[in-house]
Order: sequence, then structure tokens, then C-alpha cells
Amino acid sequence: MRPLPPRNALRFLHWFCRDDYIEEIEGNLVELYEKQYEQSPAKARRLFTWNVLRHFRPEYIRSFTQHYPHNLTAMFRHNFLLTFRNFQRYKGSFFINLIGLSTGLACTILIYLWVMDELRMDKFHENDAQLYQVMENEHYEIITTTTETDGILADALINEIPEVEYATTATPIWWFEKFTLSIGEKNIKAIGRYAGKDYFNIFSYNLIQGDEDQVLSDKNTIVISEELAIRLFNTTLDVVGKPIEFQHEQQFLISGIFRGTPPNSTDQFDFVLPFKIFQERNPQFADWGHSGPATYVVLKQGANIDHLNNKITEFAKPKHEGYSNTTLFLKPYSENYLYGKYENGVQAGGRIEYVKLFSIIAIFILIIACINFMNLSTAKASRRLKEVGIKKVMGANRKSLIFQYLGESMMMAFLSLITALTLALLLLPQFNEITGKQLQLNLDMNLILSVLGIILFTGLMAGSYPAMYLSVFNPAKLLKGGSSFVKVNNAVEEVWARQGLVIFQFMLSVILIVSVIVVYQQIEFVQSKNIGYDKDNIILFDMEGKVGENIEPFLSALKNIPGIVNASSCNSRMIGSYGSITGLDWEGKNSDNNISFENIEVNYGLIETLGIEMVSGRSFSRNFSSDVDNIILNEAAIKLMGFQDPVDKVIQLWGKDTRIIGVTKNFHIQSLHEEVQPLVIRLVPDFTDYVFAKIEIGKEKETIEQLLQFYQAYNPGFVLDYRFLDLNYQALYVAEQRVSTLSKYFAGIAILISCLGLFGLASFTAEKRLKEIGIRKVLGSGNFGIVYLLSSDFTKIVLIAICIALPISYFLAGKWLESFAFSIEMKWWFFAGAGLLALVIAWLSVGFQTLKAARVNPVQCLKDE
Amino acid sequence: MKEQSLGEFEELVLLMVAALHDEAYGVAILEGLEEKLTKKMNISAIHVALKRMEDKGYVKSRFGGITAERGGRRKKFYVITALGKRLLDQQYALRVSIYQQIPKISFG
Repeated sequence: MRPLPPRNALRFLHWFCRDDYIEEIEGNLVELYEKQYEQSPAKARRLFTWNVLRHFRPEYIRSFTQHYPHNLTAMFRHNFLLTFRNFQRYKGSFFINLIGLSTGLACTILIYLWVMDELRMDKFHENDAQLYQVMENEHYEIITTTTETDGILADALINEIPEVEYATTATPIWWFEKFTLSIGEKNIKAIGRYAGKDYFNIFSYNLIQGDEDQVLSDKNTIVISEELAIRLFNTTLDVVGKPIEFQHEQQFLISGIFRGTPPNSTDQFDFVLPFKIFQERNPQFADWGHSGPATYVVLKQGANIDHLNNKITEFAKPKHEGYSNTTLFLKPYSENYLYGKYENGVQAGGRIEYVKLFSIIAIFILIIACINFMNLSTAKASRRLKEVGIKKVMGANRKSLIFQYLGESMMMAFLSLITALTLALLLLPQFNEITGKQLQLNLDMNLILSVLGIILFTGLMAGSYPAMYLSVFNPAKLLKGGSSFVKVNNAVEEVWARQGLVIFQFMLSVILIVSVIVVYQQIEFVQSKNIGYDKDNIILFDMEGKVGENIEPFLSALKNIPGIVNASSCNSRMIGSYGSITGLDWEGKNSDNNISFENIEVNYGLIETLGIEMVSGRSFSRNFSSDVDNIILNEAAIKLMGFQDPVDKVIQLWGKDTRIIGVTKNFHIQSLHEEVQPLVIRLVPDFTDYVFAKIEIGKEKETIEQLLQFYQAYNPGFVLDYRFLDLNYQALYVAEQRVSTLSKYFAGIAILISCLGLFGLASFTAEKRLKEIGIRKVLGSGNFGIVYLLSSDFTKIVLIAICIALPISYFLAGKWLESFAFSIEMKWWFFAGAGLLALVIAWLSVGFQTLKAARVNPVQCLKDE
Repeated sequence: MKEQSLGEFEELVLLMVAALHDEAYGVAILEGLEEKLTKKMNISAIHVALKRMEDKGYVKSRFGGITAERGGRRKKFYVITALGKRLLDQQYALRVSIYQQIPKISFG
């Protein structure tokens, strides 16, 4: 047997060498090899390889493009070119497709970002898995669930429950308005909270200076955020140990600086004071029986939460006689944001509902956009029957046709993706403003994968119809064209599928329109509902410094400012619950029923200042010296007590006789999601925290200017931080407002996309029926007749969609309104309006096309063939 | 038309093709040249020279029959063309004429 030359070298030669030279070169090389082999096989191999390499030069290298005219790159280039030309030729459908799919995608991306951000809220704490909030259930007629716990619960938990690693009490952020912090002459308003000593061990607010175990252990320490340090000192260096004056009454030493609260933290604050100091000022929180602050615990690794929850349920009962109906349970802290709502002790959603709502909207919009894309691509495909025919005649096989059409729709889809990303990036600032978030377009793996998945799916679905369907036809049939292919293309199932898609789209659009109307009406209702007092033109601010020390002279001075109609003070901001009390006893009360009442502590004149209407009796007055022992109730409380003639009845509050001197109409201090709770109004001028002043209508600006001047003179060192009560009231509905704004936009986009779809389809139909239109016109049909002919089909489709959508939207809107204790009635015109709107929009988008088609000169469209 | 030129190495190969007359193929040319010049050469250089001269029309080629040798590959035989021969003659005449102009001085 002859020796074989090195295989790899030979293969390499075969790969690169021109066909017309390979024989000579290979033959010579092999001959040389064989000769050499007799002397030294190893050398022969080396030489052979070397010789092959020496032939690797331009003269002998084959031209790859020339020799493989059907390879992938050439075909790809060809398809690319065709795609591009096709886009140019049909600019209309190209833009409709591009706009439709990219706005849909952009919307979805934005919603995705929002949803992800919501889901990540409060999850950044390192202890997240072990971090729990103590919740309190009060079992009366119904179970009320709150986060309000006793001020000393945290200490008790850490002492008595071994599984608890850390526990801390903290005052809710919303308890206080901004505090005044001063360094020398510099006064700064900042948000603060009081918290137990392990606060920074529990929450990851990242101390950059100071030790987690120590920063809050002394009662005269303060921990400030980096940002606050810079505001106060212009630096964060050498700040620790410096004193800060708090409210011009007490000095605190800075013991640490924390990084600040990240945007995805529910609690946003600038500084933390030790809880001990709060207890010193409010001794009721140093003992059992007075709930209010929040309690957070970190469990030890491996602690069984179910077991612990059993253990903790009865924890509060033995501590105080008032807690016989109180049970405790632990809830993961980060869940409180999304699952904050309880109904009768059972978890009943919360913000998660909005998250779900928007996820559903996003999916809807995406579906509409994708359907549209597919619909138009398939409709468009019949325009290209001739192209397919010619290609087949020229020898294109099915595979290459499929490849071409799929590639085309893929490219369209990718173009939309790029546009969508650009759009999302551009709209992000506005979106952030509406949602009140600081979202960023971070391309994380999940987003990329899901978006790519969607694009691939849409592209494939849209491309597969023309790719699979058209490529099987007999080219002769396709090229003959005329009536035969119209029949082919109008197969019954296909028309149904396409119309079904349009029906589905419009159904979703109508549902969205109805939702927008309902949400808008409800928000409007909430904003304008008479809440029982006059919230307009009232400003409020908290008492600080000299004002807090002695309120009476301040109030009388305040009332002297021209433009101030009335002024008083109260312990509540009139927005949200301000703590409830138990311990009311009255004739006929079921003795083991420890009902809690909302509690407001007021000064003289508050009821008048706010314009709260009295049903009977009188309000607190200086003319009666003993009013401090009297109370005023609201109608809800009277109803609960079952009194017929409540005025001058004597009831017991904390065992002391108290006279009811008046009854107010029910007024809302909580959002309209809640019923009006039974309320006790007591006269405790010394406990009031907020000043309310009514300003004469039309004189707001000058009055406030004067007020600011007066305040500066009266209370030096403090900055007046006033707010309008009605704005505060609106803030209660921030979530609803956002939903309302967002759903408006999203509904708009959904409608836009649906219309684009309809528009495209109408233009396609008009084009296809051009000959028919021409003949009809020749036979004497008028423009109107043609428009009617073309629009009636679409009208039918849209009507069907409306009929399906209305019951669904009725059901959904009803569900949403149920979450309000006070809600609007759904009126017939919500639905009729939405339906009509959808119909009008559909007509408008179809009308333009049909009119254009109807006005065509019949000669133009009949002249060929 | 391409310029009629002949490099030094090409001239050698062409001479060898002419000398081997009808039996000139790659390996034979290589071996003939190696013998005359007494130095090792690379086959690829000869291939390149042959290809260029064929493009210029100085040689023409034909394939021989298949044999068991050379891995079953045919030999490609080269023959000098009339043009090639004329070029060789011109080169030869040129050199001889210049050579004869060398004065008869002793180089001893």
C-alpha cells in the first residue's frame, strides 16, 4: 500500500484550492511525498504540509462567492433588499405596523418597569427574609387590622420570645410634619422618626458613619442622612459628634450618618431620633394600653414563622385589661406595601390590585398590538402573490420562500423593538412624573429575554401565514391571477379569523374606555364629595417653638391678621385616622364589647373654623367653664350607642362622667374607601398639635404673605411650613389619581393601535375591491353608496365587539367600585358613551379610506386586464 | 495584451519545459532544475511560474493518463509554445550579443 499524505494538510488544500489547479498541485505534491517517504516518512510529512502551506496564496485560492452563488449570505442580502423595497413600496402599511407594534411594546416595557419596581419595593433590606412587622387585630363586631402597636411591645418581645433577634419600635412617618433642625442661624425642615436602638440593625439604611449597635443607644443622639448632613454642614466629614438643635428646644449629638432612604423604600425620612426621647415626652407610650407606633422584628435564622405566630397571638392580652380583644400576628415587612389592606381580619389585596390591573392592561395592549401586526401582515400577503409565483417559476423552493417571509416579518418586528425601546426611553421622564417613581430602563436579563421572546413570537406568527400558506400554491395558478386567487385568498375561515381578531381588539378597547370613564367619574366624585366640612381655603401647619408652648396668645394674634377668618387648633390633620380610644361606657352598652372610637382632641373654635355642621346641641365654648369635661360625638357614634336624644346625656369616659353637649354630622377624616367611624371630639387645648386657619376667599395670596411675616416675627428660628387642607385631602387619592391618569393614556394607546389596525384593514379591503367599486360606479352607484357598502362590514364587526365588551366592563367596573365605601352609581351613558365612541372612532378610521376608494375614477381601476 | 516579459526564474522554468519536451510536468521540472542548479527548490514556486507563463501564453498544458501513482491524480504536462520559443530565442540572442561586446581583456 502506498503511504498516505497527512490528512489535515490534504483537507486544507482541498478546501482552499481552485478546482482547476487542485489536480496538478495535489498530484505533484503527492508524488514528491511518495519519493521522500522512502527516505524519511517524518520528513516527508513535514515537507508535504509545508508545501501545502506554500500553495496557500491568492493564485490558487478559490473565490468563494463566485463558486457558491446560492449560499446564505447572498440570499440574506437579497431578502434584505426585497424587504427594504417592500417597506418603501407600501409606506402606509409599514408605518401602521411600525407605530402599532412599537407603541404597544413601549407601553408594555414601561408597565413592566413599573410593576417590577412595585414588586421590589421594600425588598432591599438585607434582613428581608427575616424581617417582620407586628400587626394587631382588634376583634369587635368586625376585626380591624392595624400596624399600631404598643410603644413597649418591642422590648417585651425581645425579652420574652427567644426567636426574636432584634425588635424595634418606630413612629410612623406620617405622624409628624417636618421638624425644624438648626445649626446656629441655619434652620432646616426635615422629616424624622423616632426609633428603637436596633433600628439600623434591622433595616439596611446603610450607616456610613457610626456603629449600628450604638447610634441610637443614647437618648440625646440623632442619626442623619447623608443628604441632610450636606444640607446642614455642606459636608459629611467630621460631622459626627456635632450638636444639632431640634425644634429650638433640645440639643442632639450626631452619632451617625446613613446613606439615605432609597426610592424603593416605603418610609422616606431624613433623620432618626431615639424612641426613648419620644417616650419621655409622651409617657403613655412607656406603658401598656396605648397603641400607636409600629413594631418591627427580625427573627433568628431558622425560626418557624407559623409556630411563632401561634405563640404571639395572645401575647398582648395579659399585658393590659383593655387588650382582651386584641391579637397579634407577624407579617413579612416587605409584603405590607403590596398587601396592606385587611377586611375583617383577612388579607384583602392592597396595591397589588393595581399591579395586577396594570399587568393585565399591559398584556391586553401587547395582544392588541401583536394581533394587529399579524392581521396586517396576512392581509398584505395577497399583494405579493405574483412575486411568489415568479419566484417559484425561477426555481425558488418552498424553504427559501418561507425563509424570506419569516425574515421579513422578523425584521419588521425587530425594527419595532428598536423604536419601542427608544420611545420608552424618551417617555420615561413623563412616566416617572405620573407614577411618582424614579424608574430607569435597566436592561436586565428578564426584560431582554421576555421582549425578545415576544418579538420572536410576533414575528413568527405574523410571518408564518404568508410563509406557509402562499408558498404551497401552484405558480401557474398564482400568476394567472385575477379571480382565481381572490377566491383562494378569501377563504371563509380566513375572513373569520381576521374579523375575529378585529372584534377582540375592539372589545378590549371598549373595556378600557369604560374603565377610564368609571375611574374618572369616581375620582371626580371623591374629590368633590361633600365630606362634611369645608376643606377649601383652610391652611394648616404644626405648632413649633413659641407657638406650641402657649397656643392661646398665638391664635388670638393670628385671628387679628386681616384675611384670616377664623383659627383654631387640633391634634389631628383631619386626614386619616389619628388614633382611636377605647374605654367609653354608656347606658345599655354590652359590657364585654370594647368598641374603639376615633378620637380628635380640639381647641375652642375648631368646629366653627372647619365649618363642621352640628346636628344638635352646641359646640365647645368658653362661655361654659366646664367644657373640658364635655364631649361631642358624631352621628355614627350616636347610632352605635343607640341614643334617641343624646344631648346632655352623661356617659363614662375612662370611668369618669362626661356630658354629651353636641352631635356633629358625619364627616370624613379617612379616605372614602372607609365608612365614617364613630368619633369622639374632646376639648383638650393643650394636646393640640396643628393650627388650622380659614382664609377669606380671594385674599389667599396677601393673607399668606402677611402670615409669613407675622410668623417670622412671632416665632423666630422657625419656618412656617403651611399646607392647604384640600390639597392634603387630594393626596389621599394619589393612587387613584395615578391609576386614572395612567389608564387614560393606556386606553388611548389601545384605541390608537386598534384604529391603526382597522385603518390598515380598511385600506386593504378597499384596494382589493377596487374593481368591484369601479363596476358599481360605472353602473351608477354614488359615492355614498360605496362608502356605505365598505363601512357596513366594519360597523358590524365593531358592533359585535361592543356587545361583547359591555357586560364584561360592567362587571369589572362594579368590582372596582366595590372597593370604595362611597362610590358612584354606574350610569347607562358610561357604556353607551364608550360604545358610541368606539364606533365613531372606527368610522373615522375606516371612513377616510372608503371615501378615497369611493371617489376613484372607474376608468382608472378598470382599464387594465 | 500582456507585456512580454520573463523573469529570471520563469526563464529557467521555461528552458526546462523546452528541454524536457513533452515530458515536462511539475515534479520533473523541479527535479531537473534542482539537478542543474544543485540547490533545493520549492514546488510552489514552479507552479506559480508555470501558471503565469501559461496565462501569458508561453506554455500550454494537457493532462496525462491516470496512474496508480500520485494518489490517482493525473500529471499535467507542459509544452512550450511558438511564442515561448521565440521569447527564449530573443533572450538568448540578446545575451549573446551583449556578451560578445565584452572587450577581450584578460580577467586573469
